[in-house]
Amino acid sequence: MLPGARLVGVRLSPGRLGGLLASLFLALLLIVPLVAVVARGLGAEPLATARELATDPFLRERLGLTLLQATLSTVLTVAIGLPGALAFARWSFPGKRILRALFTVPFVMPSVVAGAGFLALLGPGGALGVDLMDTLTLVLLAHVFYNHAVVVRMVGGFLESAAPRLRDAAATLGAGPLRTTLRVTLPLAAPAILAAAALVFVFCFTSFGVILILAPGGAWDTLEVEIYRSVARLLRLDTAAALALLQLVVAMAAGGVYTALQARAAVPLGGAGPLPRPGRGGRWLLALTLAPPALLTAAPLVALAIRSVVPPGAEGISWIGWRAAFAPSGLLGVVSAWDATWNSLRFAGASGLVATVVGTALAYAVVRADWRFLDRASLLPLATSAVTLGLGFLLAWPALTGTFWGLALAHALIGTPFVTRAVLPSLRGIPPSRSAAAAVLGAGPWRRALRVDLPALVPGLIGGAGFAVAVSLGEFGAALVLSRPELATLPIAIYQRLGRPGAENYAAALVLALLLMALTAMIMALLDRLGGPGEI
Amino acid sequence: MPRVALELSGVARHYGEVRAVDGVDLVVPPGRTLALLGPSGCGKSTLLRVVAGLEPPDAGSLRMDGRDLSGVPPQRRGVGMVFQDYALFPHLSLKDNVAFGLVERGWSRNEREARVRELLDVMGLTGLERRRPQALSGGQQQRVALARALAPRPALLLLDEPLSNLDRTLRDELMDELAELLGELDVQAIHVTHDQNEAFALADRVAVMHDGRIVQEGTPDELVEAPRSAWMARFLGLRELIPAGQAKELGFAGTTLLRVERLRPDPDGHVFEVQRVHRVGTDLELALTSPQWGLSVRWQARPRELREPPEPGDTIRLRVPDDAWTVLEVEG
Repeated sequence: MLPGARLVGVRLSPGRLGGLLASLFLALLLIVPLVAVVARGLGAEPLATARELATDPFLRERLGLTLLQATLSTVLTVAIGLPGALAFARWSFPGKRILRALFTVPFVMPSVVAGAGFLALLGPGGALGVDLMDTLTLVLLAHVFYNHAVVVRMVGGFLESAAPRLRDAAATLGAGPLRTTLRVTLPLAAPAILAAAALVFVFCFTSFGVILILAPGGAWDTLEVEIYRSVARLLRLDTAAALALLQLVVAMAAGGVYTALQARAAVPLGGAGPLPRPGRGGRWLLALTLAPPALLTAAPLVALAIRSVVPPGAEGISWIGWRAAFAPSGLLGVVSAWDATWNSLRFAGASGLVATVVGTALAYAVVRADWRFLDRASLLPLATSAVTLGLGFLLAWPALTGTFWGLALAHALIGTPFVTRAVLPSLRGIPPSRSAAAAVLGAGPWRRALRVDLPALVPGLIGGAGFAVAVSLGEFGAALVLSRPELATLPIAIYQRLGRPGAENYAAALVLALLLMALTAMIMALLDRLGGPGEI
Repeated sequence: MPRVALELSGVARHYGEVRAVDGVDLVVPPGRTLALLGPSGCGKSTLLRVVAGLEPPDAGSLRMDGRDLSGVPPQRRGVGMVFQDYALFPHLSLKDNVAFGLVERGWSRNEREARVRELLDVMGLTGLERRRPQALSGGQQQRVALARALAPRPALLLLDEPLSNLDRTLRDELMDELAELLGELDVQAIHVTHDQNEAFALADRVAVMHDGRIVQEGTPDELVEAPRSAWMARFLGLRELIPAGQAKELGFAGTTLLRVERLRPDPDGHVFEVQRVHRVGTDLELALTSPQWGLSVRWQARPRELREPPEPGDTIRLRVPDDAWTVLEVEG
């Protein structure tokens, strides 16, 4: 190793202290709760329990339906997203940047907002006049809306970086556009397509907010929803833990597929080049492939905005929703928009801060102290569903349940991977010689971290922290399990309103959803100006 | 190998305000290899892409053997191309990369296998058939790219800086190899390069591009003998240029090139003062000034040509023949 890559004589370097801090954090808040879930799920006789789990007709039906729903969602999402991804990677055209930004919206949108948007579009009294509530169609539509951006970004981004030059090569070898797509583009994109599909599958398999809002009848309950119902309504923690265990196994398997393929899809191919403008036929093809996803993305948002001021049954514009949303808390046991916003901001601030510190410490340990296992471990919170995490907290740390820090720490845990992923590339990009230069000039390890590393990390840090804040703002599952009424965040408040009868509550829910959307959009816009998110 | 005549007239390609290719007229006679030489950003790669059909020209026309190429897509032009980054297909083995174009042209399996074997043999790639491109060295990748382009027997081979991605030693080695190979296979080619040595080694004729235009075209000898502008002279490494104002005082009509390589020691020669001396390889380079002409030049000599190694402050007499002066740009 080069001198300076690792300077000698350092006992408790920033990297090692960071590693200890991050390990402790992950162990206490992730591993202990997960072990608690698994232990509770398996019970005193693990073998017998496993056999029971495998044969229990109720569990099998739930698992089967969840798998069916997730598979259908994934196939549809890829079918809608892939043509768009190919078009993005094939041409440059006016409005591409705007469209790309539009396609990112669902990506960062809280699931509760997406649910509310589709409710306003296709629920009872929906803007389109068709009620699809409790149908598989509506669940699938919402999942496609929510996830097609994953396919467009992962596959499109991969192809854009690789395919233009390879397509040129294919053309000079005699392959026309269709043959090139079949023989070059699609085989090339296969790992990226499968990786995106695996990710979408995990998201749909553990779908929570969307199902709870769009199919409250229970016909399409995922395991995740069933876990919540077992905890919240029936207080059957054994069943909940068993379900969580089942879900964990499937999600981890799909997550493993994703990680393996993602590594292959990330191989730099060095075939990037300028993209051509589409010809006349290309323009038609472009419009045909991009119009459906664009429409699907915009429609629920428009419906949300319209229905918030024109509730079903109202003649013309009505402000009842806005008045109800901002009425003081406590009336009829609902939380006001003011309190919910304040709570959301408090949780986002506290968890964002913790996530930033822990995420940075973790990145330091990986890069500077070479604690490689933390690199993989840092992704674990992403693979753990929110309700499972909530359940784990409930089982492992009952004293934290219903407290501010209980939920704040859960949110911090979920936000940590985003910070780590954003900081890692910047930290890796600092040449070892720079640290060595500072050392020779008299700076110790801590001074080097402060004066040399930190300035270079700021853009990545801002990006990661912003992402962590956005995730906390929209988080629903853990909040539902761990919160109590006085601590209700915006997503909780939306769900609360939707569970109550009357046009007033319905409109208030949509107003709250708009508010949450605006808050998230503001964070993302701020991020876009201050620095980009990193590796994710 | 088939031979084609390529004829470009008034070809232009613009990107917004940037005129990458700005009205190029060029004729490549059948069987002749041409190098497009120029600094980076001069538009030579763009011109090559226009010839390949990868970019449409904004103006002008291309003819191949008299046939107008406008509207003919690249897959029907019958040209082969070696890309700067090789653009090998990472999802295909070496063998399948080379066979790619043969499949498109409907060759049978047996014909394909035979042709691929033949090319891999010529290129010294036998035994690597099943490797993926990522698992090959830079030099091997370059040869695969060449084999892939040559496999369908294109009428014309286009090479876009095929050696620029390699390190210096390998580049010199492969340059000789490539020249030999293309000669052996009797392939008509157009090379794009920014490297003068590469252009001179690989092509019969060289067209020098600058700011989207062809500034001079000819054989390597013609270019070096008679550069048509100060820019050309500087680009070719002829560095002792006398600006117009100073040249006029010496009696020349405009910017003048002094060919220092034609200066020879001579007891009756012109007097120069030695400023500095240093070694360049086996030669000595002397920084000289001429008090009479007010000129500073650098002159290289074999140590044996000089009676004793000169030192700063010495004077040295050199004969400056009349043909050492070339007036490049006549003013007014």
